[in-house]
Formats: sequence, C-alpha cells, structure tokens
Amino acid sequence: MAFISSGYNPAKPMEGRVSDIGPRHFGEYLPPVIKDNFGKWDYHEIIEAGILLHVAQSGDKTYTVRAATARLMTVTHIREICEIADKFCGGFVRFTTRNNLEFQVETEEAAKELKAFLNAQKFEGGSMKFPVGGTGAAVTNIVHTQGWVHCHTPATDASGTVKATMDVVFDDFTNMKLPAPVRISMACCLNMCGAVHCSDIAILGIHRKPPIIDHEYLDNLCEIPLAVAACPTGAVRPTKVEIEGKTYKTVAVKEERCMFCGNCYTMCPSLPLADGEGDGIAIMVGGKISNRITKPAFSKVVVPFVPNEPPRWPTLTKVIKKILDTYAAEANKYERLGDWANRIGWERFFEKCDLPFSEHLIDDFRDPAYYTWRQTTQFKW
Amino acid sequence: MAVVEFEGASFEVDEDGFLQKFEDWTPQWVDYVKESEGIKEITDDHQKVIDFLQDYYKKNGIAPMVRILSKVTGFKLKQIYELFPSGPGKGACKMAGLPKPTGCV
Repeated sequence: MAFISSGYNPAKPMEGRVSDIGPRHFGEYLPPVIKDNFGKWDYHEIIEAGILLHVAQSGDKTYTVRAATARLMTVTHIREICEIADKFCGGFVRFTTRNNLEFQVETEEAAKELKAFLNAQKFEGGSMKFPVGGTGAAVTNIVHTQGWVHCHTPATDASGTVKATMDVVFDDFTNMKLPAPVRISMACCLNMCGAVHCSDIAILGIHRKPPIIDHEYLDNLCEIPLAVAACPTGAVRPTKVEIEGKTYKTVAVKEERCMFCGNCYTMCPSLPLADGEGDGIAIMVGGKISNRITKPAFSKVVVPFVPNEPPRWPTLTKVIKKILDTYAAEANKYERLGDWANRIGWERFFEKCDLPFSEHLIDDFRDPAYYTWRQTTQFKW
Repeated sequence: MAVVEFEGASFEVDEDGFLQKFEDWTPQWVDYVKESEGIKEITDDHQKVIDFLQDYYKKNGIAPMVRILSKVTGFKLKQIYELFPSGPGKGACKMAGLPKPTGCV
C-alpha cells in the first residue's frame, strides 16, 4: 500500500503536536446503570459461573457476564466484541485486570441468554471465542507476557504455554468448585513482568547456560559498566581480549558464579544466552496478593525445570494439573494454595503432589536464604 | 548492518539509526542525524549537550543519568526536550554517537 499521510508534517514535527493529554476519563464509558449508582452499591452475588449480580441501594440491578479472552487479539476480534456489546449491552464493555471481558445487562434472563450466546461462538479450529466463567473459586485467566511473539529476552513462549495450560484447566474456568480462587500467571523470563511472584501457580521461563560473549562488538554496542552492575552475583567483570592481533575492551563472565538470569543481556546486546535445549520453565506455587485471613505471600519454586516442549508443553501442563487437582481435593474451604501448603507443611506438599525435591529448591541467595531453612525440630517424616 | 553515506563520509548504523562504533563519529554525523531527530539548526546549546555526553562516555564508559546531564549542562529536562524533541536517549545520545540505550526502555 502506498503511503497515506495522517496530516503529520515531518518537515515541521512539532507543529500542531498534541501531547500530555493522558487517557480518556473512565466516566465517559460507564453504562448508565453504573453511572447512576456509582459509589452506592449495596451487595453482590454470583448467580452462576461467569454471571455476577450487583444490587444498588436504589434497588437497581446489573448483571455482569464475564468471558475469557486470549489477551493477544486482532482488531477483527475486538470488532466482534464491539458488535456483541452493541447488540446486548448498549455498546458498553470492559476488560478486567486479568484480561477477561465483562458485558453488563439488566436482567437475569438477558444475562443467561448472553452467556449461552457467548459460549456458542467458536473459532474455525473449534476453540470457544468467549467462554464464560472466571468468577468465584475458579481458575480465571492467566496473566502472561510477550514470549516469542515480541520480546528479545524470553526463555519460553507466553501465548503458547498459556493456551496449553488453559486447555488443561478449562473445566475449572467454567466451574466454581475449588476451595478458593486459583490465580495462574506466566512470565517468559525472570524479569517477571506481571504477577508470577505473587500467584497461586506460576509458570516462569528460565535459562540454564551462561551468556555467549561477542567480544568484537561488545564495547561498541554496550556500556560495559552497566553490564557489570547488572549482575546480581558479581559474575561479570571488565577485561580486555586480543583477537587476531587486535585488542578489544570487553567483559569476562565467571561461569561458576553465573545463574543465567540474563540481566546482563538486557543491558548489553552482545551477551545473548537463549538456548534451545538449555531454556525451559520453572514452576512456582503459593503466592497471593490479597490480605484475606493471611498476609500476601511470594510464590515459591517447587519445580526447578521442565523442558520447553512446543507447541503443547505436555510436561508443564501435567504438573500444573496434578498440583491443582491435589489442592482441590485436599484443601479446606477458603484456603488459598499457599495457605494449604503452609498448613500441611511443605514436605507434605511435595509428597502429595508427587514432586521430587532437589537441591535447586533450597535458597542460596545472600543472607536472607538462611531464613528459608528450617530452624526447628518440627517436621513430619 | 546498513551503511549511510553523507557528504563523503560513511557511517555504519543499526536499524534504529544509532552509530555502530563510537570511533566513527564525526561532526558530519550530527548534520546527518539532525533532520530525522526534528532539529533544524545545531545551536551552541545542542553542542554543549553533545560535548558533555561524549566527554562523560569517554571518561566513564556509560551515558550519564538524566539528572547528571541536567545538573552539569544546567538544562532542565524540559529544555533538553526542547533541544532534542526525541529526548536525551533517542535524540542526544544518538547524535553524540553513544551506544543505543538498553534495558526495559
């Protein structure tokens, strides 16, 4: 397609430039019933999986139908969402903080009709376009990252692993039969964009090999002190190398100190470390962010490595399914996954979930590692 | 990597238009880049920022933090944006021949 100008003049880039206007005010997009009852809600109920009812002090009711999305979506898909919103909800729709969709209607019949309609929409391959669910004690959408779709530091893929996992746990998205909500999150490297460090179950891309050093280009492309300072274990130091009679300023990596975090690659393009066989996934469990009953908690590593197995990651999904099913069968009502593991003790958690415990799981990072060891005689055989 | 020819000089650049080698920098580079960075004329103020960035990079091996740039040149961030509309990283560092900023940018 030939170039079509938007009216921007490259010869006068600052002319007519609009900036610092911020996002649109959310008030412009509120459905009338929400606008009228803003700050005056009385109580809410979950009518059935995927359908919420909110009742206002005035007696006004609104029914919310929650449906999943893949987060990564085309404009065609968004237009389809808009069509549904136009047809059922007066053109209003919203996205949740876990990238689900919410459509709001006025009556229970309309909500159930909309649920049936959404559940009937399918892609050509057979996948549901807008499966309804994600409310209450269920597995809701997976917060995830860019992966091989767009990022340059991933150790695994995001969209792929998430689709494989949601397919396996789909039943728990459309039902509410778990002891408490289970949040699954995914990050493709340990930058941990998103929520992996505070989720009930977390999927995390990891490397297992130190970076490769492009000595000849390093000084040109990188600010060496930044690469040195990027290392959490002090494995990177500045040095000089001689290649074919020419001296280059570069860095040296002490491989026995390197734990393959990839931070130096983030700062310096000449230190790539992605590797087909080396890279894979670590699984963490037991995090939460709410203050309900127990304090918020970080998730803990329970599986140090599962290999990357595109396109369906069978080992990964099997482990997650096993953890989820064991938790669902064993935990008390309202107990989040981490609360359950803490109550029965982590040695029992490993036993019940049939996970091997290895030295990789024992914290060895600086002074705080000590506090993760057991300084008591209280344990179970 | 692409090679740019400009007024008899040639520069090796990456896809974002940053110089591949700091040593390749010449005053012509500034003239070449200024248009794509929305700058009409290189003033003394522009030159002051470029000179400081180059001195700092030669001395320390890194680009200065924005607050250091402001403090030493005396230009507030707002003034730096007035001089270099793309900002201190994409605008000024590129013109000074420094490596492309990295990290989560």
